[in-house]
Amino acid sequence: MIRMILLSVAVGLGLGAKSEAQSVDLGARVAAAVEGHIVPGYARFAQSARELSDVAKDQCVPSDDGLQTAFHLAFDDWVQVSHLRFGPSEADNRAFALAFWPDTRGKTPKALAGLIAKKAPAGLDVEEMMQQSIAAQGFYALEFLLFDPQIMMMGEASYRCALVRNLAEGIAIRAEAIHLEWADGYGAAMMSPAEEGPYRTAEEAAGELVKAVATGLQFTDEARLARPLGTFEKPRPKRAEARRSGRSLRHVVLSLEATGDLAVILAGETSAGQRVATGFATALSNAEIEDPVFAGVADPIGRLKVESLQQYVYGLREEAVGELVDLLGVSIGFNALDGD
Amino acid sequence: MKNVLFGASVAALMSGAAMADTAVLTNYANIAAAKFEDSVITAKALNSAVDALIAEPTEVNLAAAKAAWLAARVPYQQTEVYRFGNAIVDDWEGKVNAWPLDEGLIDYVDASYGGASDENPLGVANVIVNPTLMVNGVAVDATNITPEFLADTLHEADEVEANVATGYHAIEFLLWGQDLNGTGFGAGARPASDYAAGEACTGDNCDRRAAYLKAATDLLVSDLEWMAAQWAEGGDARADVLKDETAGLSAILTGMGSLSYGEQAGERMRLGLMLNDPEEEHDCFSDNTHNSHFYDGLGIQNVYLGSYTRIDGTTVSGASVSDLVAAKDADLDVEMQSKLTATMMALGAIKVAAEAGFSYDMMLEAGNAGGEALIMGGVNGLVDQTKSIERVVTTLGLGDIAVEGSDSLDNPDAVFE
Repeated sequence: MIRMILLSVAVGLGLGAKSEAQSVDLGARVAAAVEGHIVPGYARFAQSARELSDVAKDQCVPSDDGLQTAFHLAFDDWVQVSHLRFGPSEADNRAFALAFWPDTRGKTPKALAGLIAKKAPAGLDVEEMMQQSIAAQGFYALEFLLFDPQIMMMGEASYRCALVRNLAEGIAIRAEAIHLEWADGYGAAMMSPAEEGPYRTAEEAAGELVKAVATGLQFTDEARLARPLGTFEKPRPKRAEARRSGRSLRHVVLSLEATGDLAVILAGETSAGQRVATGFATALSNAEIEDPVFAGVADPIGRLKVESLQQYVYGLREEAVGELVDLLGVSIGFNALDGD
Repeated sequence: MKNVLFGASVAALMSGAAMADTAVLTNYANIAAAKFEDSVITAKALNSAVDALIAEPTEVNLAAAKAAWLAARVPYQQTEVYRFGNAIVDDWEGKVNAWPLDEGLIDYVDASYGGASDENPLGVANVIVNPTLMVNGVAVDATNITPEFLADTLHEADEVEANVATGYHAIEFLLWGQDLNGTGFGAGARPASDYAAGEACTGDNCDRRAAYLKAATDLLVSDLEWMAAQWAEGGDARADVLKDETAGLSAILTGMGSLSYGEQAGERMRLGLMLNDPEEEHDCFSDNTHNSHFYDGLGIQNVYLGSYTRIDGTTVSGASVSDLVAAKDADLDVEMQSKLTATMMALGAIKVAAEAGFSYDMMLEAGNAGGEALIMGGVNGLVDQTKSIERVVTTLGLGDIAVEGSDSLDNPDAVFE
């Protein structure tokens, strides 16, 4: 068989971006992101998740203010790291078990109702509960137990109370495990690429981080916003994320803030960095709408505001991510949303 | 070995390789044409078996139709690597392989299936029993179950993706019925008498069920014929791939990476495992999921190696991405080949266990450590090979093929503008 080589492509692409990237210290940008964004973000999340579990041990009644406040704080901190879907968050399927959404076939209420109806012994034990379907675990299942009018009244209060406590404890255990792995090895491996490590070069490590920005924006665009929008003829407000706890818009804002923070750190003190920061600020100013659960998507004016926000997020996916790719000279490869 | 490859690459470099990339793309298109043609051939065999079942609804004829369906999946699953990179395949794929489906739209289901949901008001519409359906408040006439009715009216009715009315999985449900064994052993157990005439009919409306099965199978054949024509000489899919060398190579690698990672490792394997839910099986009615995964993996491997063995045993092979990579970085080609091989070993282990009686739905049971290890073996192989596919993208200078996200699906050319 004749062996071939790809001359035109090798010369035509890639080299331009590389020469531009020579002025950027990739290792320093990766280190700044790990030390200034990722590790502190997971430290906050581990702390508020532990506090949620502690509060739940004292008080498991859904209407309790303290419990609801702790739930919101921990969920906030999760959303702000939820774009970092690689390494420790993926080990032992931790992120999947923390956040199973979108739930396109209604598996979370079904799984919870099944546990409650059977008073399944697994619900009474943290470790066994952590082996159950991810649809019955994490923030979105806990939201049903605290805010869904049907689930929060279903079966026996004592069993639901155990579920609330064990789900909160499962969240805390996983949050602490992710934080520990970042602080204890994975962060260093990301900052010091090696042949046998998860990243062979600084380009691969930086590419992973740009991919995190891109994936977070894509999820906000295609799930958090596109799902409730549906189509003009068929808006789907009930598909809004975490609508039962009134958090749908809040997740969009938190995620834009977090991905913007990472993007600006990666860009550093450059003109591209200023453009990226401006782009995120503009998108965030368009998120100042008074429709916390996107209930207005069925109304022409309300819909326009959400569609406009979606356009800005899409713009960031194109422009901000494009700036980072060019500036850093990286390739971001495939992400988990590539399927259908 | 490396030295030999390096020598060959220098020779190629000196011989001038402007034509070479086209050879890789042409072979890629030739393999697609062969895979889709094999899919047509096996779908036609399925159609004949369905005719025999409807004419004479015996258990023997039902078993023959099931066997024909299983055979038809072998070449088709190997085409899935042509998704994601080729817009023409993506725009069409939902007609033939949409999944998962709310089967209550089509036919009777067990009480445990539940009723209509927030997500899908048509979840239990049962078109085989009901000649009139209410879709989004409008009455729809379903008196005649024709290929056109299934494709244009029922499929994705009410804009719900789970309303899958056509393709392999709708036919699978009509042949096997629901698998009510949960994570226990056993597939769907529809009796052949569901297609019987008169008094012998079980499950009601056997004539409408037969009309549905026939319409869906006819439609599968014609949809596959259309796609085979797109890859034949003069077809649009072939022309798109050959139009631009960089975009064409990018389409190949986009398909390999997206199928490996987001689709197969993520959506189809890991998610199902973490939900412990046999409804998340890809071929859930027939318990054929082990093969579905195996042949998806094989499709990725044979596209990289540029060699496909057809259902009649002949091979279609030629210039490959592997050749291109070997010429630029022989170590990376070895890495890529060994990762693909490791994945096939892991998917093979799942297939072997399933064929020996430990079926895929049993592997999904909560707390089943052996099943989890088998499935995660496949997932890890696919995730690991994706890293190498990304390195191949970088080495071939193809840039950010996934940076545009859905753009790489909708409009592959836009990625390179």
